[in-house]
Amino acid sequence: MSALALPVVRGRQVWAWARIAFCAVMLALVLAPLLWTVFLSFRTNIDLLRQAPLDLRGPYTLDNYAELLRNQTLFRWFFNSLVVSTVTVAGVLTLSSLAGYAFGRLEFPGRNWLYLIVLAGLAIPDQSVILTRHQIFSDLHWHNTYRALILPGLSAPLGVFLMTEAFRAIPRAQDDAARLDRANAIATFWHVLLPQTVPALASLGIYTFLLSWNDYWWPLISATRPSMYTLTEGMAAAQSNYVEVLGKGVLMAEAVVAGLPVLIVYILFQKHIVNAVTGMVKL
Amino acid sequence: MRRRALLGGLAGLSLAGCAPKDPRPAITVQRIFGDCRAHVPKGGAPTQNLNGECEIITGLLDRFEAENPDIRLNVNAVAWPGYDQLSAQIAADDAPDLVTMHMAVIPDYQIHGLLTPLDAGLKAQGVTPDQFTPVARRAVTMDGEVYGLPFDAWTQLFHINMNLFARAGLVRGGEPVLPRNAAELLDQARRFRAATGKPYLVQSSVNERAAFARNLYTYLLSAHEVIFPDPHHIRLNTPRAREVVGLFKRIHDERLTTRDLDYVAATTAFINGEGGVYIVGTWMIGNFDNEAAQAGRPLYRGYRVKPYPALFGDPVLPAFVDGHAWVMPKRRRTPEQERAAFRLLKFLSVHEGDWTRSGHLTSMAAVVGDPVYQAQPHRRDLMAITSYGQGLPTDVQRQFAIQAMLSEELAAAITGIKPIDRALTDAERRINDMLTNLS
Repeated sequence: MSALALPVVRGRQVWAWARIAFCAVMLALVLAPLLWTVFLSFRTNIDLLRQAPLDLRGPYTLDNYAELLRNQTLFRWFFNSLVVSTVTVAGVLTLSSLAGYAFGRLEFPGRNWLYLIVLAGLAIPDQSVILTRHQIFSDLHWHNTYRALILPGLSAPLGVFLMTEAFRAIPRAQDDAARLDRANAIATFWHVLLPQTVPALASLGIYTFLLSWNDYWWPLISATRPSMYTLTEGMAAAQSNYVEVLGKGVLMAEAVVAGLPVLIVYILFQKHIVNAVTGMVKL
Repeated sequence: MRRRALLGGLAGLSLAGCAPKDPRPAITVQRIFGDCRAHVPKGGAPTQNLNGECEIITGLLDRFEAENPDIRLNVNAVAWPGYDQLSAQIAADDAPDLVTMHMAVIPDYQIHGLLTPLDAGLKAQGVTPDQFTPVARRAVTMDGEVYGLPFDAWTQLFHINMNLFARAGLVRGGEPVLPRNAAELLDQARRFRAATGKPYLVQSSVNERAAFARNLYTYLLSAHEVIFPDPHHIRLNTPRAREVVGLFKRIHDERLTTRDLDYVAATTAFINGEGGVYIVGTWMIGNFDNEAAQAGRPLYRGYRVKPYPALFGDPVLPAFVDGHAWVMPKRRRTPEQERAAFRLLKFLSVHEGDWTRSGHLTSMAAVVGDPVYQAQPHRRDLMAITSYGQGLPTDVQRQFAIQAMLSEELAAAITGIKPIDRALTDAERRINDMLTNLS
């Protein structure tokens, strides 16, 4: 090895180690609060109240999880969240991919104006329409129903934008090829183009699921009967006034349980997430 | 086989749909205080935290249900403080029949005609306003009508670590020695710090939306200062206000208090013996008593709680008092539902003494003299507050928002972010801006 090459190799090694160290630090920063939450969920409330900082040697307990299991309504709230999130994801994926296909591939009068109007929805914060929305659902007597919890989530301008861009990124030649094979617009959408947007669909689905699963404000004011609470709302309602002092262990156990579906979604779809993110970077 | 099962299921469902309607009047109670059903079995005693707010109210409502089988009771536990949900329910014409409400919040709803006056209904059940303590009666009475059944009175107090006080020589005849003026407070705090190496005061000062405002209200009310000259204005930049804020700033500057703690950290610090006096509300008494009963703990046999000491030579003793009440939002009800709701109010007024086990003070005059109530820990020290404590005027709206804005500005003054004058002027301007723009 020449004298000139040695510093270059060393430089590369240093750079590689620096990158690993940087990633390790970032990983630790992300993982620390999650692990701390899990750790706290296995400690008794009295320990959490008395000890600061906490002793890692224990004692540990399953009491907080046992208390969760005794709370039957928690399962109802979990089920509600699951229904609302799953149906919302299905609805958003269907509507956004159809709209994205229309905006991205089809020619029709007023397309650009319509697309602009949809995109303008991105600039309107949820808070500014909440009163009107609440009034509409009141007039329809839809509060405390799944309809009320699901419908607002289906309006997803970001989803339409993402899917439009995903459809636009597919070469036009594929439409022509499909047309030569006598495929109509629906067949082209379903058999040729939609399968190529799976990474975008995956990222949109995960994003929508997270948004819906973690939503608090709309369920808070629309679902006012405990049987219709979602998990976020139910957990907040179940907290005693001073839970942050007196019931921290149970609170942490609830946080762990509430976070599990999100974790499962990530584990199941991580390949698609990576593809979606790298795909979007390429766009 | 599968078809038969399906038909059977459908038949079952349709029969369930034909089940006779429950003829009992149904009422819905909406409350805060959390959900503790996991350790409060229906009809049984709580398996833990006997004197917790959630445990007591759950037990009381269970008992009402058991004693009144002719009424169907639905209970909504909502996230604290519950006003977003209530406002949304009122807008959707789906308000509950009875709701827990902080007394200071009642005007927000009463002024807009959203609450039912309770006088006649309560009177029919034998509950009259003269049964309430004076401070509670004032707080729930607007335009000559009663809009809430008082359920308790709460106030901030001096929670004292007697073990540390003893080390600082601040215990005489088994009683804590509390200051009689501002100079004495500073002197005792310095002595305390020198003897124990710990700050005299434990305070929650980070993300704190109320404590500083309550401190100020306490010492303004005891001086008969008019905080709200009219329903749309607050007056804060007064010599007394500057004096009170100046005292707390001095305590902060001389490190005679804990710094940069939020509510949880401050509570943990007090329990772990990190300071002499924790200024927090009545609701923590039960928990600190539990700590005082545990051998080896810093508070073991060393916990007392006292009202704020008079520091400025005022004509009345200092105590700013608020409380929880039960209100009845306006909505269509059958006469049977209305009677059922008032029966529940009567039940709650009779059992208000049980609720005070949580640490809250009573709002019922008869309970003040009740030996069972007096026998509860520390009640003899605190009972008088129910007669001399003062609330805020009932014609001023948005007291929660006012408290938050004021506390923010006071925190800025005490920690040195703003000069005291400017913080008080800013607080006045922000609050008046809000009050003058209310409909």
